[in-house]
Amino acid sequence: MLKTYRRVFSVAGSYEPQLKIALLLSVIASIVQGIIFALFFPLLSALMTSPIQPQTVWILLGMMGVLVLVEGMLRWKELDFAWDTSNDVAHETRLRLGEQLRRIPLEELNRRRSGDLNVVLSGNVSEIVLWIGSLCTLIIQTIVVPITIILVTLFIDWRLAIALLVSFPFAIPIYRYFRTLMGKALRDVTAVDAEVASRVVEYTQGLPVLRATQQVGQQAQRLQEALSVQRSVQSTAQQLSNLPAIALSTLVEVGIFLVLALGTFLIVQGTLTVPTLFALLVIALRFSEPLAQLTGLLSVFDLMESGLERIEAVMNIAPLPVSPPAAHLTHSDITFEQVSFRYADQIEWTLQDVSFQLPERTLTALVGTSGSGKTTIARLISRYADVQRGTIKLGGVDVRSLTPEELLQHISVVFQDVYLFDDTIRNNIRFGRSTASDADVEAASRAANCHEFISRLPHGYETTVGEIGGALSGGERQRISIARAILKDASIVLLDEPTSALDTESEVAVQRALDQLVSNKTVVVIAHRLSTVVGADRILVLDQGQIVEQGTHAELMEKGDRYSSLWQAQQQSRQWRIAA
Amino acid sequence: MTDQPYTTPPTGSWAIVAPVKGKIVGAIALSVISAIAAIAALLAIPPIATELLSTSPDLDQIWVWVAMSAIAVVISFTTKVFAFSTSHLAAFNLEVILRTTLTEHLAKVPLGYITTIGSGAIKKIVQDDVKSLHAFVADSTPLIGRAYTTPVVSLIAMFVADWRLGFVTLAVLPVGMIFIQLALHDYAEKREEYDRANEQINQVVVEFVQGMQVVRTFDDGSSSFARFQRSLDRFTQITREWNEATQTSGRLGTLLFEPLPTLTIVSIVGAWLMLQGTLEFPRLLVFLLLSPRLCGAFKPIFTLSYFINQSNAGAKRIGVVLAEPILPQPGRPKYPQDASVQIKDVSFSYGVREASPQESRPALHRVSIDIPAESVTALVGPSGAGKTTLARLIPRFWDVSNGAIEIGGVDVRDMTSETLMSWVSFVFQDTFLLYDTIRNNIKLGRPNATDAEVEAAAQVAQAHEFILELPDGYDTIAGERGTRLSGGQRQRITIARAILQDNPIIVLDEATAFADPENEALIQQAIASLTTGKTVIVIAHRLPTIRSADQIVVLDQGNVVESGKHDELVSANGLYANLWKRHEEAQNWQLRTRSVEIRNFAPL
Repeated sequence: MLKTYRRVFSVAGSYEPQLKIALLLSVIASIVQGIIFALFFPLLSALMTSPIQPQTVWILLGMMGVLVLVEGMLRWKELDFAWDTSNDVAHETRLRLGEQLRRIPLEELNRRRSGDLNVVLSGNVSEIVLWIGSLCTLIIQTIVVPITIILVTLFIDWRLAIALLVSFPFAIPIYRYFRTLMGKALRDVTAVDAEVASRVVEYTQGLPVLRATQQVGQQAQRLQEALSVQRSVQSTAQQLSNLPAIALSTLVEVGIFLVLALGTFLIVQGTLTVPTLFALLVIALRFSEPLAQLTGLLSVFDLMESGLERIEAVMNIAPLPVSPPAAHLTHSDITFEQVSFRYADQIEWTLQDVSFQLPERTLTALVGTSGSGKTTIARLISRYADVQRGTIKLGGVDVRSLTPEELLQHISVVFQDVYLFDDTIRNNIRFGRSTASDADVEAASRAANCHEFISRLPHGYETTVGEIGGALSGGERQRISIARAILKDASIVLLDEPTSALDTESEVAVQRALDQLVSNKTVVVIAHRLSTVVGADRILVLDQGQIVEQGTHAELMEKGDRYSSLWQAQQQSRQWRIAA
Repeated sequence: MTDQPYTTPPTGSWAIVAPVKGKIVGAIALSVISAIAAIAALLAIPPIATELLSTSPDLDQIWVWVAMSAIAVVISFTTKVFAFSTSHLAAFNLEVILRTTLTEHLAKVPLGYITTIGSGAIKKIVQDDVKSLHAFVADSTPLIGRAYTTPVVSLIAMFVADWRLGFVTLAVLPVGMIFIQLALHDYAEKREEYDRANEQINQVVVEFVQGMQVVRTFDDGSSSFARFQRSLDRFTQITREWNEATQTSGRLGTLLFEPLPTLTIVSIVGAWLMLQGTLEFPRLLVFLLLSPRLCGAFKPIFTLSYFINQSNAGAKRIGVVLAEPILPQPGRPKYPQDASVQIKDVSFSYGVREASPQESRPALHRVSIDIPAESVTALVGPSGAGKTTLARLIPRFWDVSNGAIEIGGVDVRDMTSETLMSWVSFVFQDTFLLYDTIRNNIKLGRPNATDAEVEAAAQVAQAHEFILELPDGYDTIAGERGTRLSGGQRQRITIARAILQDNPIIVLDEATAFADPENEALIQQAIASLTTGKTVIVIAHRLPTIRSADQIVVLDQGNVVESGKHDELVSANGLYANLWKRHEEAQNWQLRTRSVEIRNFAPL
C-alpha cells in the first residue's frame, strides 16, 4: 500500500505538490460530505418532533446548503488536477521517459524495443497518468465518507455504528482475498489473448499454404483451438471476477438489513428513536452504492499500479557508467584485450577471450557463420553493452571512460536495415551532423550518390519520407543513410554488410557511396560476401565466439583452412543455376 | 441458444451484435427486473416508518415489510448477477463468432488484399477490435436496462408519493440532460481530433523508440528528441484545447450528479411542505431514498457513450473487412490439363486503395508470356518493374484487369481456390513458420503425410540433419527459446514444406539477402530438389542463378521489353545486358580504405 502511495507520487514528478493538494482537498471534501450526511440525524429528528420547530429545521437546512456549496467548491478545485494538471503530468512523464531512452544502454534498448517501450511511452502513460487524479480521489471519497459517517454514528448510537462497521471495514480484506483469486485468472486471460493474437498473425501469413490444404476458417485447427481455449479461460475468469463484486454487494446489503432489523428491534424495545434509524438508512444507502463499485475502481487501480511499475522499471535502468576522468579520443585504432561477453539474457558466451588490434585507417573484415560473434564485435566497439571480462580500447582509451557523446561522435554505423525518420530527406541526412549547412548536406549526398535521385523527387530535399513511403528503394534508402554517415565524418566506420539485401541495380550505386564513406577511415565490416573484402588489410575469421584465423586474404587462402573452405563454398554457389 | 452469423456485413455496434441478440435482449430484460426490484426494496421502507410512527405499531406487519424488502433485494441481486453473466456469455460467444467469421472471410478474399493490409492490421482487427466489442456487449447492455428503468420507475413512485415534490425532483432531470448534451455534443468531434493527435503521438513514440538504436549511433539522440518533444507539445496543446471546451460542463456534470445536491433540494422543499403540514414523513422518506438514485442512474450514460464510441469504431473496421468482396468462385470448376502457364495479354493496375502514389500507373501493361510445363522462366527487371506483381497474379493474389492467366489451358478464374492452390506453390524470401513443431510445420504442405514422408522431404531439403541436432528433433517447437533457427534453416524448412506439397508449379521469390556461404550452398541444393521436374517461375534479384533459365523475361515499368535466353539477351545489348554489366561490376567490387581520391566533407 505504501509502495503504491510512493509510486503514485513519483510519477507525479514535479507536480507532486499539486497531486498532494488534490488528494488533501478530496479528503477534506469527503469529510465535509460525511458531515452533511450526518446532519440528517438532527434534521429528521427535528422534522419528527411535533410540533416541528421551524427555526431548528431551517438552521439545519441552511447548514446543509452552505456545506454542500463548500463541498462543491472544494471538489471543483480538486478537479483542477484531473482536468488540467494530469495532462502536464503525462507530458512530463513522457519527456522523462524519452530522456531516459537516450541514456539506457543499447543492449537494454534492443531487448525492450519491440513492445515494452512503446507501450510504456504511449498507451500506458497516457491512460494511467491521466487517471491518477480522478482515481485516487474517487477511492478517497469511497473510503473517507463512510468512515466519517461511522464516527458520527458512534456518538449517536454505538450499537448501530457497530452494525455499520460489520459491512464496511470488512469489505476491503474480503475484496483483497478474492482479488488474489482473480489475479491468476486475469493473467491467464492476458496469456490466451496474446496466444490468439499470434495465431491470427500466423494464420494470416500462412493463408497461401493453408488455403491449398483447405485448413481455413473452421478448419484452421490451430486457430480454432486457441479460440476455444480463449473462450473457456475467459468464462472462468468472468465467474471468478464476479465473486468479489458479489461478495461486496452481499456484505453491504446484509449490513443495511442488519441496521434495519436491529434498529426496528431497538425501537420496539424503546431504546432508539425512529428518526435516527431512518436517517441512518438514508445515509447508509448513499454509501453502499459507491462501496459496491469499489471493486471496479480497485481493479482499475491495479491496472494503474502495474502500469506504474512498468514505468518505474524503465526509469530504473541505469545508464552505462563512465569512469572518470572522462577522456578524449585522438586516435582511432581499435584494440580488444581478452574480451569475453555474453548478452544479458543468455547463458552462453557470445565472445570468448577475443584479442586483436586494428591500426588506424585500416580495413578489417569480420567473417563467419551467423551466430559466430561478428555483429557482437561491431556492437561492442560502439559500447552496445559492457563486456564481462577484458577491455576494449579506442585510440588507446578504454571505452568505459568515454562519455557516450564523445564515443559516438567518432563512430559511424551503416546497417543492413536503414531507418529513416518521417521527416524531410534533408533532415534525415542532417542527423549525421545537426550543425551542417544545406551545402554540406548536398555535398554529402553527392558523395553518397544520392543527390541525383533526391533532386528528382517531388520536393527535392524537402520531400518527406512519409509522403513517398515505399517509393524509395532499398538502395536509395541505403544511400541516404550513407550520406548521413559521410556528413558525420567520424574516424571509425562500422559496416554491417550494407549491400547484402540489395538487387544488382542498386548495389553498384551503394558500393560507390561506400567507397566515399570509408576512404581514410578505420573500418570494420561484417562481410557475407567474401569477394567484397578480398582487399581488406586484415580478415578475422570467427567461429562460436572465438577468432579461429586471421590474416590477409592471400595468407588465409594459403593456409587452406577455415577461410579457404568458406571461400570455396561461396565460389561454388556462385556457379549455381536454377533448373527445372 | 442459437447464435446466427451475419447475412450482410455489419456496420455498427448494434448490427454487429445481431448473432447474439437473443442473449442481449435477455440480459437487458434481467437488468430491468433487477432495477425494478431494487426500487421495490427501497419502497418497502417507508411503510415501516408509517407503522413505527403510528400510535400502536403492528410488529408483525413491520416484519412482513422487512421480509418483503429482503426478498426484493435478493431478486434484484440475483437478476443482476444473471444479467451480467448472460451478457458476458453473449459477449464471449460473439467474440468466437466474429473471429471465426473474420478468419473464414479472410480465407476467401483475394490474397492481395491480405498482403495489402498486412498481418499486423488483421491481428488488430481480429483480436483488439473484437475485444473492444466485448466491453460494449458484456458491460454496457445490462447498464442500458438499468439506466433507463431506474429514472422511469423511481419517478412514477415519487409522483405517487407526492406530486409536488415529484416535480421538484423532475426539475433535476432537464438540468442533468443539458449537461449531458453539452458533454456528449463536444465529445464526437473533439474526440476525433484528440484521437488523431493521440494516433500521431503514438506514431512518434514508435518512431522514437525504433529509431533510437540508429540515432544513438549518430549522436546522443538530441535531434530526434527534439522531434519527439515537438510532437509531445502539440499533443498536450490539443488535449488542453479539448479540455478547455468540455471541462466546465464536465466539471458541473461531475458535481451535480453527486447525490447530495438533489438530496439537499428535496430536503429543503420537503421540510417546507412538512412545516405546512401537507406532507407526512413516510412520503418524504420515499424521496430521500429514491431521488439520489435518479441522478445516479445517469452516470452510466457517460460511461456507456464511451463504450459505444469505442465499439462503434471497432465494429466499423470489422465491417469493412467483412464487406471486402470475396474472390469470385467459378460456378462450374475446371481442372488444369498440365503444368504450363499462359499469360495472355495481361494488364493490371492496383485499385485505388492499394495504390501508393507510385503505383497509380498500370502495374502491368499487355504482358504475354508462354511458359511451357517443366521449364524455368525468370522474371528480371529493375525494382518496380512489375516482376512481383506478375508472379502474384498467377495464384490470384489479385485478378487481372484485362487479359487472362491460364494454367494448363484453364483460366485461373475458372478453378476453385483449392484447385489453384494445389497447383501452385510459393517459396518467398520471408519465411513463414508456425509456432509449432518442426514436423507440423513441414506437414502443413500436406496434412495427411506420414512421418516418413515428412522426413524424406526434410532430407531432400537439406534440413534433416540440423533438425536432428535440435533438442527434440522433429518435435522441437520452431522459434521456441533456445532453438532460434537461422534464416537459412527457416528457409530450408519452408522448402521442405513445398517439396512435401509437391505442386507442379513453383513460384520462387529468390532471396536477396546473402546467407552465410555454407547455408547458401545448402539452400541452393534444397531449391534444386524442389524445382526438379516442375514448372518454375522465379523472380530474380540476382542474375547469375538464372543464367541457364529456359526463358528470361525482362520487365520494365510494367512492360515486357525483352525475352530470351541469357546469351541472346546479353548480345542483344538491351536492358538485360545493361543489368548484367552492372552485376559484373558489383561482383568485382572490393572495399578499400585508400582506393579512391581523398575527399573531405569536414565543415566547409
